[in-house]
Amino acid sequence: MDATTVLAEINGNIATVGYGLAAIGPAIGVGIVVGKTIEGVARQPELAGRLQVLMWIGIAFTEALAFIGIATYFIFV
Amino acid sequence: MTDARPAQPADRTPTSNPVLRRALIWGGVLAAVILVVSAVLGLVFAGLPGLWGALIGTTMAVVFMGITAASILLANRFSGSDLFVGAFFGIVLGGWLLKFIVFIVLVVLLRDASWLDTTVLFLSLVAGVLASLVVDVLVVAKSRLPYASDVELPKAPEDD
Repeated sequence: MDATTVLAEINGNIATVGYGLAAIGPAIGVGIVVGKTIEGVARQPELAGRLQVLMWIGIAFTEALAFIGIATYFIFV
Repeated sequence: MTDARPAQPADRTPTSNPVLRRALIWGGVLAAVILVVSAVLGLVFAGLPGLWGALIGTTMAVVFMGITAASILLANRFSGSDLFVGAFFGIVLGGWLLKFIVFIVLVVLLRDASWLDTTVLFLSLVAGVLASLVVDVLVVAKSRLPYASDVELPKAPEDD
């Protein structure tokens, strides 16, 4: 069976694939942000406050993309 | 043999608490403004379903974006504990995971609701998310954070 036939056999809602794509980016992003924060706090625990704020702003930007990505389910059929 | 630990342990509360609290408050204020604007626009362009879409969309954006800061504030209450780092990341990332599960369930539930306009909901959600990012950046840019969490610094002059 060639690739075109296999692709033609796939059925279901393509938006599910969109969700998968929308999940990959933030997963990697938040993983890096949090991992680096752990690293920083482990090196200098007294900087925890500053690092937390930076982590939070990083998470906020990353998750904004996820929210918009998942919510496109509302407008794309 | 005497106990090596000091009688009064140093306050290890992270210095980020005031910044996060201020971000939550200003996020709430801006959310109220966006709620009114998007509700009026939704009502004008899409009628009653548009109004519901705007109200729910803005509320979803602000609540879900605010949960991160709220979870950090909650986790910082455990700053005295030996398990602080584990508890902190458990609470923050657990809250993050829970938030996305709830968000996806809401999206699936509201997708086929006939009593709201999903386009207005999407647009007000995006507006709410962007506004909350703007508030976060402004609050962080205007904030002053002492470097160390466990020392008493001279009070900074009030400027906001």
